[in-house]
Amino acid sequence: MGKALITGNHAAGYALSVCGEANRSARGCVAGAYPITPQTEIVEYLRGFNFSRGRVVPVESEHSAMAVCIGAALNGARAFTASSANGLAYMVENIFAAGYYRLPIVLIAVNRTLGPPWNIWVDQGDSLMFRDAAWIQFYTESHQDLVDTVLLAFRVAEDPRILLPVCVALDGFVVSHTLMGVELPEQAQVDRFLPPCHVPHRLRVDHPATVGGLTWPKETAHHRRQIQSAMERVPEVLEEALDEFEKVFGRRPDGALRVEHAEDAEQMLVACNTMARTARRLVESRQSEGEKLGLIKLKMFRPFPRRQLREAVGKAKRLGVLDRNHSAGSGGVFWGEVAATFQGRSDLVVQNYIVGLGGGDVTPEVLGMIADDLQTRMTAGEPIWQEVGV
Amino acid sequence: MIEMTLYGRGGQGGVTLAKLIASTYFNRGKHVQAFGVYAAERSGAPLQAYVRIDDAEITNHNQVRTPDHVIVLDRTLIAPNILDGHKPDGWILLNTPQPPEAFAEMFPGRNVACLDATSIAVAHGLGTRTVPIVNTTLLGAVAKVLGLAASPDAPRTRSAPGRPEALRTRDLPRASDVPRTSDVPKAIGLTFKDVTETLAQSKFGGANLEAAREAFESVRLEKLPGAAAAPKARAPGAPPKDLLDADVGGMPAIRTGNWATRQPQRHQLTPPCNHACPAGNDIQAFVQALQRNDATEALSILLVTTPLPGVCGRVCPAPCMDACNRRIFDESVNIRDLERYAADHGELPPPTQPRREERVAVVGSGPAGLSAAYHVARLGYPVTLFESDKELGGVLRTGIPAYRLPRDVLDREIRHILSCGVEPCHKRVTRADLVELTQRFAAVFLATGLQQARGMDLGPEADGRVIEGLDFLDRARRGEESTKQQEVIIVGGGNTAMDAARTALRLGARHVRIVYRRSREEMPAIREEIDEALEEGIALDELVQPLRIFREKGATMLTCQRMKLAEPDADGRRRSVPHVGEDSHFDLRCDRVILALGQSADVGILPEGAEVREGEALVGMTAAPVFFGGDFASNEGTVSAAIGSGRRAALHIHRTLTGEDLFPTPPPVAGPEQITMHIFEHAPRHDGRAIPPAARRVSFEEVRRGLVDDPVFHPAEDEANRCFSCGVCNLCDRCVHYCPEGVLLRCGEEFQFDYGQCKGCGVCASVCPRGVVYMTEL
Repeated sequence: MGKALITGNHAAGYALSVCGEANRSARGCVAGAYPITPQTEIVEYLRGFNFSRGRVVPVESEHSAMAVCIGAALNGARAFTASSANGLAYMVENIFAAGYYRLPIVLIAVNRTLGPPWNIWVDQGDSLMFRDAAWIQFYTESHQDLVDTVLLAFRVAEDPRILLPVCVALDGFVVSHTLMGVELPEQAQVDRFLPPCHVPHRLRVDHPATVGGLTWPKETAHHRRQIQSAMERVPEVLEEALDEFEKVFGRRPDGALRVEHAEDAEQMLVACNTMARTARRLVESRQSEGEKLGLIKLKMFRPFPRRQLREAVGKAKRLGVLDRNHSAGSGGVFWGEVAATFQGRSDLVVQNYIVGLGGGDVTPEVLGMIADDLQTRMTAGEPIWQEVGV
Repeated sequence: MIEMTLYGRGGQGGVTLAKLIASTYFNRGKHVQAFGVYAAERSGAPLQAYVRIDDAEITNHNQVRTPDHVIVLDRTLIAPNILDGHKPDGWILLNTPQPPEAFAEMFPGRNVACLDATSIAVAHGLGTRTVPIVNTTLLGAVAKVLGLAASPDAPRTRSAPGRPEALRTRDLPRASDVPRTSDVPKAIGLTFKDVTETLAQSKFGGANLEAAREAFESVRLEKLPGAAAAPKARAPGAPPKDLLDADVGGMPAIRTGNWATRQPQRHQLTPPCNHACPAGNDIQAFVQALQRNDATEALSILLVTTPLPGVCGRVCPAPCMDACNRRIFDESVNIRDLERYAADHGELPPPTQPRREERVAVVGSGPAGLSAAYHVARLGYPVTLFESDKELGGVLRTGIPAYRLPRDVLDREIRHILSCGVEPCHKRVTRADLVELTQRFAAVFLATGLQQARGMDLGPEADGRVIEGLDFLDRARRGEESTKQQEVIIVGGGNTAMDAARTALRLGARHVRIVYRRSREEMPAIREEIDEALEEGIALDELVQPLRIFREKGATMLTCQRMKLAEPDADGRRRSVPHVGEDSHFDLRCDRVILALGQSADVGILPEGAEVREGEALVGMTAAPVFFGGDFASNEGTVSAAIGSGRRAALHIHRTLTGEDLFPTPPPVAGPEQITMHIFEHAPRHDGRAIPPAARRVSFEEVRRGLVDDPVFHPAEDEANRCFSCGVCNLCDRCVHYCPEGVLLRCGEEFQFDYGQCKGCGVCASVCPRGVVYMTEL
């Protein structure tokens, strides 16, 4: 297909569409569709795609959009949808249902601030709201990363060792509405990369069954434990999927995390999404000036890649965790996870910086101030609120 | 890396321009990025868009802080702050009618390019009726500016004619991580070919390309004198506001009205039907009343301007329907049948009494006299109406057959006129009487119509076989005519010719033939009248001029000359001239010839030396002023024109007697371009019913039956609902519903724009179906 000039939303819509179309020889695909800024162009794109065996179902709310996906996936279709912010909040009941039903649904979350006060710009608080819902979560840093990760998401979700839904997040406006060049996968390549979707517990006329009925505490705990086991298998399955991706497409997207300058870094920034790309620019610049600054880009938030993260920090003495989200009464959500990962490491400073909330424009200069602060820290303090301009 | 900042307003296409610029460089193999900064205020709100172009992958995702080039799409956004972060050797492209030199003080030492993109966009019809869209136009200017910025020597002159199409391309160095102010702006030379390619890809059509070309050729470039100040970073914003202090509901209040460059206003226009109505009827208003199925209200609106809606609803040629804007959309509204419906179904108001002293005399009770008497009476004057015949109505009674205008309809409307304070007096008024009337009355109105028929010499055999059309109709009405078994030839092409032909048919003629010296196209008769005559079996010979009647073998024959059309005469109709050739003459059998060639006024009633001029009174020659109207004063020849003439005379009389001017001053006409046609649904016209041709030939029963309600269908209401209400608000509330900001309110019939918040997006004007809401430049 070659490189196309396309917005993030249309790239996401394209990726979902070709993945859905790839299941045409099996039980087809279904999308529940409801618009919300800044995600609207994705469902618009889906409505315009001519599926051989698939349906885009316009519904009256996000809650129903996910309900459509649940019903479709329970019938063995490849199911997907997209939403943002308060739309995701309205969807949450069924988001949990999809996770606990173990349905390989793919949801694109175009990150946007939860209101009120009303704000349409990027903030990861919306997808982090359902971090505990038995969903795998990927945070993507660019148009290309987004497209590639959508393909990986279906492959991982539908793997018989996993069978969990996947949320792929991107920055509202910063990616969703920005025009950039992207290598779009061709249908034939996607057909090769994605095996037909198989949901082993799908509903069958010849084998009537009820799913999600009443259970006792023992069964429920067992059910959660099974989900945890599946989550623990994700890194391995993801690596396999990346190998296969490289074979088909000739490039290797980032995995659970991506580390830069771990070998000599004394300070490392931990970031995700486009903020990680901005941080990378800063790191390259500082490295060229001799400063020992490194970067860990966290792409996978669920399951949280604790093992890989512990390996990634190397000899670093300080971690600065950047959070474009805020868990009221605590601090950044990523910080909480990173701090828990390094419990007992008294030699490592894990400092939280809350930056770019509500879509604040995070420039290399802003991150430079954070790096300067981190460099001089001997101990970690309470989360620091780094204010940025519009 | 090249970075650009675009300043525009929501709805102007700034983000699209950023994307078009990016596409143009993407086509040249560059890495690009284009994005806008969106806000919740949408259209009209100031917004910025950014473009990045590089040879390497672009990894910045923050806003552009130190642009190489700045583009301003809206002249109201041109201000010193656009220099924030701007690199001094980059370009500033402004959409403004002003030349670059005008900005010498604001942007000293800068490279400034100016283009009146708005005018170009408007001239090429780009954008909506309410908001011009300038992005594709500006793309042409961008190509020129960036093409030049890449050349080794930046221009000092206004234009660089003869520049080769392909400019030198220079590869760009990798971008530095943190922008340095000393970076020299770089650009790959763009040519107009690049613009053509980008616009074609984006499916922007011919007008966009032409506008871009005009921009490419006409953008003015200048390096302004003076020293450029060092780039300045963007000023920090005000500290954030604590939402707990005030305005808990949302963002600190923004007076978005300050952003507006245009403002919506409302006005009422004259609907084209009203403008075309010779009687001056408020057609739009009465049709709107029929939309509510309120025939009495509709009738009361009609009665403001005409006492004869039942007559006009039957016999008017309806120029309103020719002017109807709906005619362009599908078919004109059936106004004539709606007027008839209102007259036949509405309730007439109770009688009124005169309330003034001055008495007014009206001579002649044709449509002009009736109208003048009615309107003078409505103004409160006692009126005496003189008529030589023993029945009132003039030509309405004597000249229009009952199958077109039933007597009870005419009688009903005359009774209503009399009930308004009009006293009839059946007396022929002579010249001496007129002088005497001016002594007894405060004013006299003269509308005695056309009494002298135009004749035609058909030779000595014509005696006793030729009759004048109006005479024939009058005699027929009195039962003094028969055409049993006769061959009848009618000469003429007006309504009298049609009426005479159809009456002759009904009186038993074996065969009726109309001969007319021009073609059917030029016939002044109402089109439907001609159609109905032909339906009834009457023959029509166009381009035929009768010459002479002669007798042959016991039969009467009429020799005729074939004619052909020549160039138009003074009144715009094509003249006819004799056709020369072998078959130029032929004979027709005939027992009777009815001449319907028109009539002229008999001015013998006027004082010696008096002249009749339309709209002027005869003052000073008699004791009281004498006014004229109807066909007597100007040969308009239609009932509605006569009604209008009588009404104007009444207003004239009133002004003469009291000094009070009641003449209306209507606003401009709402043309079809003012109507948002696409929001309407196509709907065929509801035509009135008619009795079948075979039944018509043997009776004087009314042919047309108008719009007839039945228990299920209400064709009049449905037909009224086809009215666009051109130029007149009918409280449809589309402007209120579509206002994206909710700053347009209606209370009763009052509309209120909150100009403090209105951004001038123009949505209200673009959704107004009837041209009432419009945008003004601030």
